[in-house]
Amino acid sequence: MRLHFALNGEEIACDAEPDALLIDVIRDLGLTGTKEGCAVGVCGACTVLVREVPVCSCLYLAAMAEGAPVWTVEGIAKRDPALVECFVEREGMQCGICTPGQVVSAFALGLEHDSATEEEIRGFMSGNLCRCTGYVTITEAVRSYLDHR
Amino acid sequence: MTTAEFVKPGTLDEALAAMTRPGSMLLGGGTSIGILLKNRLIEPQTLVWVGALPELSGIGIDGDGTIRIGAAATLRELARSELLAGAVPVLPDAAGRIGNPRVRAVATLGGALVHGDPRQDLPPVLLALRAQVDIAAGSGTRTAGLDGFYHGFMEVALGEDELITGVAVPARTAWRDRYSRFTPGSEDDFPTVGVAVSLRVGDAGLVEDAEIALGGVDSRPILAAEAAHSLIGTEGGGAALEEAARVAAAHCEPGDDARGSADYKRKMVGVWVRRTVAACLSG
Repeated sequence: MRLHFALNGEEIACDAEPDALLIDVIRDLGLTGTKEGCAVGVCGACTVLVREVPVCSCLYLAAMAEGAPVWTVEGIAKRDPALVECFVEREGMQCGICTPGQVVSAFALGLEHDSATEEEIRGFMSGNLCRCTGYVTITEAVRSYLDHR
Repeated sequence: MTTAEFVKPGTLDEALAAMTRPGSMLLGGGTSIGILLKNRLIEPQTLVWVGALPELSGIGIDGDGTIRIGAAATLRELARSELLAGAVPVLPDAAGRIGNPRVRAVATLGGALVHGDPRQDLPPVLLALRAQVDIAAGSGTRTAGLDGFYHGFMEVALGEDELITGVAVPARTAWRDRYSRFTPGSEDDFPTVGVAVSLRVGDAGLVEDAEIALGGVDSRPILAAEAAHSLIGTEGGGAALEEAARVAAAHCEPGDDARGSADYKRKMVGVWVRRTVAACLSG
């Protein structure tokens, strides 16, 4: 089937199977920042925004995004470079595999909240798993992002 | 993959018409169907996406206090609903603890009910609330109690031509409702044991009516009616509570799996029935 959506602000059209998953469509378009980790909606590495809401692209059928704005980490990094800077400055990463999902979720948090408590940050970011940092520097990066916008 | 067509109906009638195509399957948000599809546990020829159907959306309350929730309401909408927080707080509380924010953003109430995995959270909560489901088919509509809806593991009393349009929860006047999800592993996992308790408490502090529902400990979500009955006419503590916990634990038929042995789950049913009833009565 023919799909049309706004990928990182750019209207695109592509062919996809009716049951294609959004992550596969995105990656086939060359945007490989979005990672498949657990493939069952638990780890958060595949997080993208559809209609400005964070979703698991590994479970989200691409056809459900027809006509919708879709943002991946590549687009988010351009939309708000300061967010990536905060992750770099606070060292909110180690191996980096979870980082695209962390960045997209942090951006989504910023869309909904001007400020957030530690508990709200951890609640909103829950399910974006990181096996390196212990979350302290990630939480600091998000805090820094919210404070300095 | 075998799916030949993805249909996004604009109206309920269009959705019901699309469901008559051979091999059709309804899609809410895809958080369960996505996993089943990619593992080829299901091979629908046509996917009918009803998650964006306006007639299945919305959360409201009738003049008599009946709470009405559209089947396409997401768990995120449930969790964030101020109306629900005031009218039936156990529901947003439970919905807000399922999975993670990204799952809650797309998973729908209707999908959560028809999936029929006994480890899910909302079925026991809605069973204890004596919820009714509104069902539509090409031939008309009907309303059914959620009690009786679950036949077995992933088996629900819904015809192939039927879909759930919404859920009705009776007014909660004088009721106290609580849900406990016991997750000894990861908090975002299915619960090892889920216990929903609803109690109607009279002015004298006596339990006048009660429901206890259990998740994760049988082939389907179940009501522990005898256990609940043992609380009626009591203050809900002491020997009556011990009896309710004992009867509930005896009533379920858990299996061994990664979330615990059958014996462990049965013991935990007793523990969490006691704790959940006590929490219900204390607040």
